Amino acid sequence: MPSPDDFVNDIERMKQDFKKAMRFIVPGIGVLILVGFLLTSYYTVEPDEEAVVIRFGAYHTTAQPGLHFKLPFGVDEVIKVKTRQVLQAEFGYRTRDTQGRRSEYSKRDYKDESLMLTGDLNVADVEWAVQYQIADPFKFIFQTSEPVRNIRDVSESIMRRVVGDRSVGQILTTGRVEINDEAKVLMQEVFERYDMGVMIVSVRLQDVNPPDRVKPSFNEVNAAKQEQETVINQAEEQYNKIIPEARGKAEQSISEAEGFAERVVNRALGDVQRFEALLKEYQRAPTITRKRMYLETMENIFKDFKNLTLVDPDIKGLLPVYKGLDSMGKGSNK
Amino acid sequence: MNKKTIAAIVLVLLALTAKSSFYVLTEGRQAIITEFGKPIGEPVVKAGLHMKKPFFHDVRYVDKRILSWDGYPNQIPTKDKKFITVDTTARWKITDALKFIQTVRNEKGAKSRLDTILDSITRDIISGHNLVEAVRNSNSIVDRISAKEKEIAEKEKKGEVVVEEEVLGDIEPIQIGREQLSLKIAESADTELTQFGIKLVDVQLRRISYEESVEESVYDRMISERQRIAQKIRSIGQAERARIEGRRQKDLNKIESEAYREAREIRGKAEARATAIFTKSLSKEPKFFEFLRTMEAYSTVFGEQTQFIMSLDSDFLKYLRSDH
Repeated sequence: MPSPDDFVNDIERMKQDFKKAMRFIVPGIGVLILVGFLLTSYYTVEPDEEAVVIRFGAYHTTAQPGLHFKLPFGVDEVIKVKTRQVLQAEFGYRTRDTQGRRSEYSKRDYKDESLMLTGDLNVADVEWAVQYQIADPFKFIFQTSEPVRNIRDVSESIMRRVVGDRSVGQILTTGRVEINDEAKVLMQEVFERYDMGVMIVSVRLQDVNPPDRVKPSFNEVNAAKQEQETVINQAEEQYNKIIPEARGKAEQSISEAEGFAERVVNRALGDVQRFEALLKEYQRAPTITRKRMYLETMENIFKDFKNLTLVDPDIKGLLPVYKGLDSMGKGSNK
Repeated sequence: MNKKTIAAIVLVLLALTAKSSFYVLTEGRQAIITEFGKPIGEPVVKAGLHMKKPFFHDVRYVDKRILSWDGYPNQIPTKDKKFITVDTTARWKITDALKFIQTVRNEKGAKSRLDTILDSITRDIISGHNLVEAVRNSNSIVDRISAKEKEIAEKEKKGEVVVEEEVLGDIEPIQIGREQLSLKIAESADTELTQFGIKLVDVQLRRISYEESVEESVYDRMISERQRIAQKIRSIGQAERARIEGRRQKDLNKIESEAYREAREIRGKAEARATAIFTKSLSKEPKFFEFLRTMEAYSTVFGEQTQFIMSLDSDFLKYLRSDH
């Protein structure tokens, strides 16, 4: 049976054990607290970040990249925000993979985002991207409940507004830069109104197309343009082939006429000079000159004849009968 | 009870009291202090560590930030009977925390009120206006097109060929426009939302699209429009070709006939001059000319092969005759 003394002894022993244990436990707890203090009293901010420090729930400071100290045990809360990165929101497509040599995109299921009404009440399939930076990390976190969603919602609304003020032709062709600029300005205006600490870097239209079903008819317009050019070019070609040639021919015929004119006039002058020269001589002795010339001519003519028949007019019944050279000369004179 | 125990209890009570006398209000939130459910004073909006009456006071938190609301896409016919799907989003704020808590309790309750009010007001306003009012924000497209039409008319007057790819004309001008429309929605919703302590920051018409059933006919229209333009472009090409061909014919005729006229004129003038030269000189002695020219003609006309029968009557042969 245990005696009361034993009980007292037991208690005494337990007290001593406890004291012995406390000698280890108290410093142990102290060390734990110290380690906890050290672990929770610093933080690092990466080069592309800024950190918002919240003390007792209220904004305390914004920390730049580097090593910083804070009040430990959750008194200071640190929220890191990627302020130096340019973030991107994509509409109508999503970049799937940028690891490979060429980025891959998927765009199948975003027609809701990309199909929009144009000012002439047509439909265009517009894909775009908005690049933005967080200009004020504190406002970005605490001014609105869902900043990223706001950026998406506003961007969709603004893009539709900008596209809505343009015709489908303008959107597909010439208006791209204008749309980018206008959308950027309008989006920034809305975000300023929200005061949510976002800065739009750029708005960029990506693929802009007619809806799939309408595409062939847009291509047809392009084909028609080509066709038109071809037809016009062919006509011009014909023109250019024929007209210069005709001009050349015209000049040729005029030159020929001029040549003819020179010839006719010169010949006339020549003939006349000869005539006048002869006339001078003739007038000196008309009869004899005449006779001489007549005989010379006859001589010239007859000497070449291969077939000359002489007929005596006294012999009757032989035909034909020529009256004489004088009357014949009249008939052949042109 | 020994002293130690009492001290421990007092310590615990003190700690509890201390804990109950402070509360932390984080950024982006506001707090309402209630005393047994009854609100006390103005809502606390400044973030940080605050004091309150321990045990008696309760703290209730509501959001202070701009919150987002996303509506379901609604199918709405517009005033001009076009069936469209309208998807709106809105941003809102709790402006009267007390009212908010009393009327809708929390954000979930607020969302159901927003759903009801915004959906019906959007429906009212969209169906009270033509489709263009929800699509366009300004009449810049109308101005642009009329400027373009003027430009084209001027060019055509100068005789240039204008290929216009866009559909011109028949663009309906707007009265108020998209931005004003969403403002109108926000304004009329706001008057109903004040009773819940809510204020709208804005309403955005995020997406407006044709209903699927209408989409097909819109596409058909777009296709026929494009085909019309393609046809127009082709026929402009044909017209231009005809024009060039006409010009070619005209120029060709002009060039050829002018050359003919000029050549004729030159020849005629030369002949006339030659004639004049001859006349002037030959008329001095016509008889001699006749003789001279006849002799010349004989020489050129008669050649080797001429068959010639000559009568001895001829003057030339007179010395051959026996009677001579």
